[in-house]
Order: sequence, then C-alpha cells, then structure tokens
Amino acid sequence: MYKPNNLILRTTTSLIAFILLGFAVYLLFAGHNAPGGGFVGGLMTAAAIVLMYISYGTEVMKKILPINFRTLISIGLLVAVLTGFGAFLFQQPFLAHTYDYFMFPFFGEIELATAMLFDIGVYLTVLGVTITIILSIANDQ
Amino acid sequence: MSNLAVLPIILPLLFGIILALTHNRIPLSRFLTKTFTIINLGVVSYITFRVFNQGTITLETGGWEAPYGIVIVADSLAMLLVLTTNIIAVACAFYAPHSLSERQEKYYFYPFFLLLITGVSGAFLTGDLFNLFVFFEVLLMASYGLIVLGGDKVQLRESIKYVIINLFSSMLFVTAVAFLYSVVGTINMAQIAERVQEVEQQGILTTIAILFFFVFATKAALFPLYYWMPKSYIVPNPVVSALFGALLTKVGIYSILRMFSLIFIHNIDFTHPLFIWIAGLSLIFGVIGSISTNNVKLIVAYNIIPAVGFLIMGIGVFNEDALSGTIYYLVHDMFIKAVLFLIVGVIVYVAGTSDLRKMNGLINYYPLLGWLLFISAFVLAGIPPFSGFIGKLLLLKGALSVDEVIIVLIALISSLLILYSIMKIFINGFWGEKQESDNIKLKSTKGFMGPIVFLLEFSVMLGIGAEFVYPPIASISEYLLNPELYIDSVLKE
Amino acid sequence: MTSVLQATETFLDIAVWISLIAIGISLLLLLYRAIQGPTNPDRAVALDGIGVNLMGLAALISIMIVTTKFNDVILLIGILLFIGTLAIAKYIEKGALIDRDMD
Repeated sequence: MYKPNNLILRTTTSLIAFILLGFAVYLLFAGHNAPGGGFVGGLMTAAAIVLMYISYGTEVMKKILPINFRTLISIGLLVAVLTGFGAFLFQQPFLAHTYDYFMFPFFGEIELATAMLFDIGVYLTVLGVTITIILSIANDQ
Repeated sequence: MSNLAVLPIILPLLFGIILALTHNRIPLSRFLTKTFTIINLGVVSYITFRVFNQGTITLETGGWEAPYGIVIVADSLAMLLVLTTNIIAVACAFYAPHSLSERQEKYYFYPFFLLLITGVSGAFLTGDLFNLFVFFEVLLMASYGLIVLGGDKVQLRESIKYVIINLFSSMLFVTAVAFLYSVVGTINMAQIAERVQEVEQQGILTTIAILFFFVFATKAALFPLYYWMPKSYIVPNPVVSALFGALLTKVGIYSILRMFSLIFIHNIDFTHPLFIWIAGLSLIFGVIGSISTNNVKLIVAYNIIPAVGFLIMGIGVFNEDALSGTIYYLVHDMFIKAVLFLIVGVIVYVAGTSDLRKMNGLINYYPLLGWLLFISAFVLAGIPPFSGFIGKLLLLKGALSVDEVIIVLIALISSLLILYSIMKIFINGFWGEKQESDNIKLKSTKGFMGPIVFLLEFSVMLGIGAEFVYPPIASISEYLLNPELYIDSVLKE
Repeated sequence: MTSVLQATETFLDIAVWISLIAIGISLLLLLYRAIQGPTNPDRAVALDGIGVNLMGLAALISIMIVTTKFNDVILLIGILLFIGTLAIAKYIEKGALIDRDMD
C-alpha cells in the first residue's frame, strides 16, 4: 500500500476554498436583484467546505470548524420564520418586506432590503442540509 | 387584513424549529411540546371564535394583493377543521411520551409532529391552489419522517410504498394545477372559481376536475386507490398512526369538498353522481377489509375507508343536508379515528400482540380500556345519542331527498358491519375468563388513559350537544353552497 | 464604417456557429467515452471534458444573445466541475471520499 501524496491538492484547496467562499457571499448578496440568492450561496459554501473535507479529513475539520450542521438547519429556519414575524411588529401583513438606501464609507450607496434577512435564513438552512447529507453519505466508517 | 389568519400555520412551525434545537433533551422536549400545543389550541380557539362571530378573516401575505399574491383564507369551514386538528394534536402530545421509545423521541419526533400540524393547518387555510400543493408537500415530508421513525424492517418496506404512491400523486397534482392554469390563467382559488363559470369549453374543465379528484382520492384513500393505505398506516407507532388516520386522509377529503363546492360546479350532473358510486364501492370494500382480518390495528385502519366513503357520498349528493352531514361526519371522524388508533395502541401494548386470536379476557385486568373501546365503537357506528348517528342521519336524509336509495341501503348495512368489526375486538379480546396462570404481568396504562378520555369526551359532546353544534355546521354548509361568499371575501374587500 | 461592423458581426456569427457545432460533436464523443470507457479513469476524464464543454457552450450562448448574466453561471459550472472531478479522482484512487484521519 503506497501513501498517496496530497501536497498539490492541499495547496490548491487552501487557495480555492477562499475564492469559493468569496463567490458564495457575492451570490448571497447579489440575490435580491440579480441571479443568485440564499439557496445557491448556501450550495457554494457547502461546496467549499466539502472541498476542505476531501483534502483534510474529518478529524482535522472538526477542529477547524466545530459546528453542528444539524443545529445550523434549525437556526436557519428560525431566522427565516422570525423574519416573517418581524412584519407583525409594524402592523404589516405576514412576510411583508421593505427596503431603503444607505450610505456606507468606501462602498458608497447600497440598497438594503429586509428580504435579505430571509435569504440569510435560507442560506444557513441549505448549508446545513447539504453538508449533513454529503457527510452522512460519504463518511468512510 | 389581519395577521391572525396565518398564526395557526406559523406558530407550530416556529415551535417545531425550537423543538429541533432541543431534540437531545427529552424531558424538556416533552414539556415544551405539551405547552406549545396547548398555546396553539388557545390561539386557534380564539381565531375560530372570531371567525364564527365576525366572518371570514383573509390575509394577503407580503402585502401582495389578492389575485396575484398568496392569500390565507380563514373561513368557518377551515377554522373548524384546524380547531379539530389542534385538539387532536394536544391529545397526541400527551400520549406520545408514554408510547414512544427514547430513541424515537430523540430522532426528531416532536419537530416532525409539529411540522405535520403546520402542513395540515396550512392545507386547510390556504386560498391558493399552488400553495395547497406546497402544504401537501410539507405535511408529506413530515409524514415521511414520522413513518420511518424507529426504522424496523417492515416499517421501511411499507414506507417505500407510501412514499412512492404519494410522490406519484404529488406529481400528478402539479400537472393538474398546470393544466388548470393554462385554461383559466390564475391559481388563486377564488379567481379560478370566478373564471371557471366563464370558460366556453367546459369539457376540458371536467377532465381537469376528474384529474384533481384522482389526486385527492389517492390521498384520501378512496375506493380504487386505497390499497396502499391500511398496511402503511399500521406499521408506525400508534401515536403516529392516530395522527395519520385522523388528519392525512381528511386533508384529501377537505380538498375534494373545497374544490368541488367552490370551483368545479359547472358540470354537477356528471361529476357528483360519480362520487356516489365511488362512495358505495368504498363503503363495501372498506368494510369487507375490516371484517376479514384478525389484526386489531388493521381493523381500525380499514375502517378509515368506509368513513371516507360516507364523506364523499355527502359531497356527491350535494344538497344542504348532505353537506352539513359531511362536515359533521368529518369532524366526528377525525376525533373517533384518533381515539380508536390510540386505544388500539394501548391494547397492543398491554396484550403484547396485535392478533385477536391470541388475546383473551382483557377486561378483567383493564376495565377502563374495555369500556372506552365499547363507547367508541358505539360512537363510530352511530348508535343514537352519539355523534356518528347525527352525521349519518343528515347524510341519509340528504341522500333520500334526491332518491338515492341504493347508496342509503349500502350505507346502513355497512354501518352495521362497522359496528361488528369493532365489537369483534371487544368480544374476542376483552370477554372471556380470567386466565389462571399467574405469569401475566399487569402493565400500567396510567398515562395513556388521559388523552383518550379527553378526545372521546369531545366526540361524545359532539353527539349529545348536537343542539349547539348543529347550527354553526348548517351555516357552513349554506356558505359552501354559495361560492360567491368565498369569492367576495377574497377578491372584494 | 458600417460595412466593417457588419463584416465583423457576420464573422462573429459564423465563428460562434462553427464553435457550437464543434462543441456538439465533442460532447457526443465524450458521452460515448463516459458510457463506454473501458476503465473508470477514462470516464472521469470524459466527465471533466463534458463540464469544460458545457462552460464553453454557456459562454457561446451568452455571446449569441448578448448578455453578461451567464458569467456567474459559467463560474458556477467551473467550480462544481472542479469539485466533482476531484471527488471522482479521489474515490477512484482511495475508495473513499472523506477519510476520518489523513495522517
């Protein structure tokens, strides 16, 4: 039994994982007015994390990312549902949303919508579900 | 516009998510589930009270106006059924800790349970056809989770059947929605109802109507499509069986009732007599199934089929008496099926077997259980002071007023046979001498009795207090016969 | 001036069509390799090639209907393709996708 050499894989992973995470955040925030959104953003993040799992193994990843992905599903759902409840406080119909323009230093004027919060809930849920599924299929034990 | 209408859907969802976070701490989960179901029942009771006093509450979610956005319509029929659902949920929440193993509880039983309530309430409340499909999927997802809970071999075999048949009917559901959309150009139920009357080619609408009927009949386990139902309803834990038997098939019936009283009323002469025939066949075949088996769980599961037969018969006759009979019987049947499944669960637990031939003389050890079964058999079969009688009386009165004599005869005979099938459990299982051998260990049934008595109480009150229950139900059936009321409450505020 | 513009446009059109046909043919050949391929590594390479061709196809279509909306899609296909190929390669070599402990 020879020992496979992982050097190339690990070097590229540490580089590409960051590009993937950046792209995921871009997709998440672009989602309101352009292609993208919470769902595909979550998938992209999941892809980055799975890539790290492939090249480093479960033990190391548990130390790097001590997150229970099943809990993440519940938290994401909670965020999404509570966003809907937010409308109750302002005497608006359930799931109503609003938006406004804000000035940020360095970025300039940006449109922020409350639908974004719902998207973050979706993002967390999709991330949790995907990683849970892939890990339970792919574990070698 | 009032956010009250969405609360019965969103509260169980929120509570379910909270329970998913605490799923490893069983005592906490149990306590929270009980509290949450009671809170939910309180909220739903208040909304029901308001709807019956002040009329339909509608909510346009997200502020999108009616024919374009999704509407939630809390009218009297929907709220009555949501209230019944939540009463059953409270009973099941109290029954579950005694019936489930710790492993099953840890495996997300409580979140799935509340998600099921979300889906059922949503299906009752929504005023949008595609949204109805979504809520069907929500409740099916939860039921897939519940049916494999525990993961026995036989459970997995039956659940595969259940999953495949439901996936197929869901697929057909979406197709039917797409067909209807291509004809009328909208999926808002009120607007569909408005436009169906204006469509020139009524033939295609009748085809779509039958397609919808096929979909809902699969979910409701009507005559040619019931074969998947009895076995897959008995394999999970009794509390899950009770939820399935009480709620899932009834959602199908509710959808048929809603679709064929609001939307597809353009060709009553063709569609509704078909229902009467299917009702007759369901009655016959369901009863034959229930008297032909010695498995106590199967007896109760087969009894669901004649019950949906009665319900569909009322929709087929389609006059005021028959429709109030259907609504009355629907509420009655939700209660009594939950009670029967819970009782049978206790019987199987104390006897250690579900085979009638192997049990004997249980009444010597468990008198309360025996009498509860006796009363519920009477309620189910419709012996006069109880609720089954009033529902059946209204149904038969309605059927006789349009001279459907054959179906009335079938209904009467099958009622007798239903009584026989439940009495068979009582005679074989409970009568008999006390067994001499001392090796029978008495098992405690303490925690089981409370929820059963609680539900049976409602069921009995429904019959004895018919004087108070009947007027609102009659007003619902009047409301169903005038679809303009529904359309007005959604489209013209 | 307009005639030059028109000429480039015609040229672009012809080039896009030729590329589309070429990609179509290579997709067919790759599909044959992915199904028939005598060994698993052949199939892995063929799947990788199909992915690359899909990216090219998306790019050509975005040229044809003049839009930049497909750029994200191309990037997405590329990333998924990369991880997919990596997963297949690792599976073929080690028999498991995610190990418990690598060192």
